[in-house]
Amino acid sequence: MPECENPLWPCAMTGAAACLAGFEGIAVVIHGSSGCYYYPTTLLHAPLHGTFILENEAIFGSEHRLREVIEGLSGCGKKIAVVTTCVPAILGEDIRSMLEDYDVILVDSPGFSGDVEAGYKKALSVLAPAVDPATGGINIDGACLFDPFSCGNVREIMRLLGNASVPVGTVFCADALGNVGHAARYTVGTNGDFSSGAGEFLGGTLGFEEISKTFRRVASVFPEADIISVETEMQREDERIIKACDKFLRRFDPPHAVIFGGFSYATFAARTLKHYLDADILYVGTRNEPGTSPFPSGIVQGLSLVRELIRHHDPSLVIGSSFERSVAANRAFVGLTPPIRGMVKLSPHPVAGITGTLSFVENVLNACMDRKK
Amino acid sequence: MTSNPLPLNLSRFGGCTLTGALSVTTQVKDTVTIVHGPKGCTHHNFSLLHATGLDNDRVTIPDLISTGLSESDIIFGGEGALERTLDAVAERHIGGIFVLSTCIVETIGDDVAAVCRRHSKVPVIPVPTAGFLGGTFQNGVNNALNAIADTAEPCIKIPCANIIGEKNLEYEVDENYAEVTRLLTALGVPVNLRFLRDCSIADISRLGAARLNILRDDDLWTVGERLQQRFGTPFISSYPVGLAGTIGFLEAVAGGFGVKCTQAVREEKVLQEEILCEFEDISGTSITFDHQSSAPDAFRVACEVAGRIAVTIDGDGCMVPLPLSSPVGTTGIRRMLHRWRRAIHA
Repeated sequence: MPECENPLWPCAMTGAAACLAGFEGIAVVIHGSSGCYYYPTTLLHAPLHGTFILENEAIFGSEHRLREVIEGLSGCGKKIAVVTTCVPAILGEDIRSMLEDYDVILVDSPGFSGDVEAGYKKALSVLAPAVDPATGGINIDGACLFDPFSCGNVREIMRLLGNASVPVGTVFCADALGNVGHAARYTVGTNGDFSSGAGEFLGGTLGFEEISKTFRRVASVFPEADIISVETEMQREDERIIKACDKFLRRFDPPHAVIFGGFSYATFAARTLKHYLDADILYVGTRNEPGTSPFPSGIVQGLSLVRELIRHHDPSLVIGSSFERSVAANRAFVGLTPPIRGMVKLSPHPVAGITGTLSFVENVLNACMDRKK
Repeated sequence: MTSNPLPLNLSRFGGCTLTGALSVTTQVKDTVTIVHGPKGCTHHNFSLLHATGLDNDRVTIPDLISTGLSESDIIFGGEGALERTLDAVAERHIGGIFVLSTCIVETIGDDVAAVCRRHSKVPVIPVPTAGFLGGTFQNGVNNALNAIADTAEPCIKIPCANIIGEKNLEYEVDENYAEVTRLLTALGVPVNLRFLRDCSIADISRLGAARLNILRDDDLWTVGERLQQRFGTPFISSYPVGLAGTIGFLEAVAGGFGVKCTQAVREEKVLQEEILCEFEDISGTSITFDHQSSAPDAFRVACEVAGRIAVTIDGDGCMVPLPLSSPVGTTGIRRMLHRWRRAIHA
C-alpha cells in the first residue's frame, strides 16, 4: 500500500540537514521553499538558512536566487552546504554546475529519495570522513540533531572515555568541521541508526552488556586505558537497577511492552526490559529497516499501524514518541523516540552509556508505578 | 527568522500553502485530509500539528493520509496514487475528504481536481494548495476556508456572531477566543460558529446564520468579502487590538447588532485602568523591542501601552518581548505587560 496514514518519520532532506548542522563551521542552506525550511528548523533547533524559492524561480530557474543566498553568506566564515529539496531536484537544473564558482558542499537529498537516515548518510558521505593516523583517541558516532538524546549521549560517552583516560577523537556529527577529515582510528557508537562508518568500530554503548564488551575492546587497543573505573561504576549501578526492579516485581507483574522507535534504541529498550524486569516484549515496531532481533518485530511507519498494534497486543507499557503517547490511552508510556513533544526537556538525558540505562529503567519504573496508582 | 539573515522580500517567508490549509481542514471532525505528495510533506505537517495540539492540551491526532509519492510516481505521474488513496479512504465511515496537493505535484502536472471529480461515494473537497507554488501559508488558510464555506447554504439569520479564521497554530488561540467571547458576552452576543475550529460537517451548515462575522485579522479580508457575498453577512476585519482598539471593537460589534454598548465600554475602561495600575512599578523605565518577526500592529499596541504607563521607548532601554501577533483585547495587554515586567526585573 503506497499511501501512509500520518507518516511518523521525517524525510531525507531533514536527515541531511541534521547531519550537516551538527558540525561547527558549516552554514546549511535548504534550497527550496519556506515550507521545507521551517520543519527542520523547528525540529533540529539549529540555525539553518534557506533560499525560500518562489513560483517564478521554479518556472524560470533558481540559479540567481541560489547564488544570491550563497553570496550573502560568503562572509560568514563558514563552509556553505546546500541541501536540495523535492522541487529543485526535479526541475532538471544542474545545481552542481551552478555552484562551481563557489567552495560549496552540495547534498542532493530531496524528501522523496528516502527517510531521515538516508539523508544523514548521504550528507556524511559527501563530507567524506577520513582517519588521520596522527589523531589519537576514539571517535564517538551516532550523534544526530534529530535525536533528542544525542547531546546527552555524547556527554555521557565523553565522561566514560574520560574516566578510562582515553581521549575523544571526532564526534560524528557534533564537532568542528575540520575534524571530519582527521578522525581517530577507532570509533564507539551511541546510536547504530546513525553510524558514521569512520574508523574501526569497537562497539556500541547501549546497555551494560554492550558497554562492557566495547570497553574491553577499548582496553585491547589502548593498553594504557583504565577501564576499571568504568567497570566498577557499571557493577555498582547494575546492582542498584536490579534492586529497584526486584522491588517493583515484588508488587507488580512484569510489563507487557510494545516498543516503537529506530532499530537501535528499540532493541536496547527491549533487551533492557527483558533483562531487568522479565518483561514480555509483545512487539518491536521499527521506524527504519529492522536488523536481526530476538523479538517479534517489523517496520512501522504510520500511525494507523501503531494504533492497530496497540489495540491487538493490549500492552501495559508503550515506548515510543509522542505520537505513540497520543494513542496509548491510559497505558504506561516512556518517550524514547523523536519527536517527544508536549513536555519541557532542558537537561541532556542520554540513552547511551551507564547513565542512559539508569535513566531509561528509572523512567519505565516510574511510568509503570504511576499507572498502577 | 533570526536564523536567516537574508529577507529580500516578505513573500519568501510566507510559509507553505499546504500547512495553512491543513491548519483549517484538520479542525473538521469526521473528515480525512489526503495530502497528495511525498510522505515527508505529510510527516512535517503532521508533526507540526501534533506539537501545536499538545501545546494547546489537545491529544487528538489529525487524520492525514499521504499518497506517498515515490521517485517513480514523480517520473510517471502521481494521479494513480491519488486515485488509489481516494478509493481506500472512501471506504471509511466519514463525512468528507479534503484533498490537498503539494508543490511537487504541481510541478509534475497532476490534475488533482479532475481525479477528485471522479469520486462521488463520499464528498470530496479539493482545496487549491500547491506548497509554495500555491502562494503562502495565509493563502492556504484562505483557500481552505473558502472551499469549505462553499459547502454551506444560506440560512435564516439569528442574533449571533461567527468567529472566522482563528489562527489554529497560535499558542494562545483558545485564550484569544476566550477574550473575544468575554467582550461579546458583555454585549449579550453569543457565538454561532468558530469557523473553523473544532467543528463537524453538520456545524458548518450554520455558517450563514450569523448576523456578523468577526475575522481573526485583516489577512482574511477576502474571506470576509466572500462570506458577505455568499451569505449577506457583514464583517469586522480583526480581533480587538490595543486599548483604544478594544473599546472600538465593542462599539463596532454593538453597531452591528444595533445594541447599546455604553455600560460595556465603561466597564472595559475601568478594567483597563485597573490593569495599567497593576504595572505602576515599571513606570518611568526605558524599554526597547525585539520586533523582527512581530506583526506591525503589535509594535503600535506596544507604543500605545507604553505611553499609558509612562514607560519610555529608547534604543538603549531594556529589551522586552513583543508578541508575534498583536495582543488580543485587554487581557492580551495584561499578559504582555507581565512579560515586560519579567524582562525589566530580570
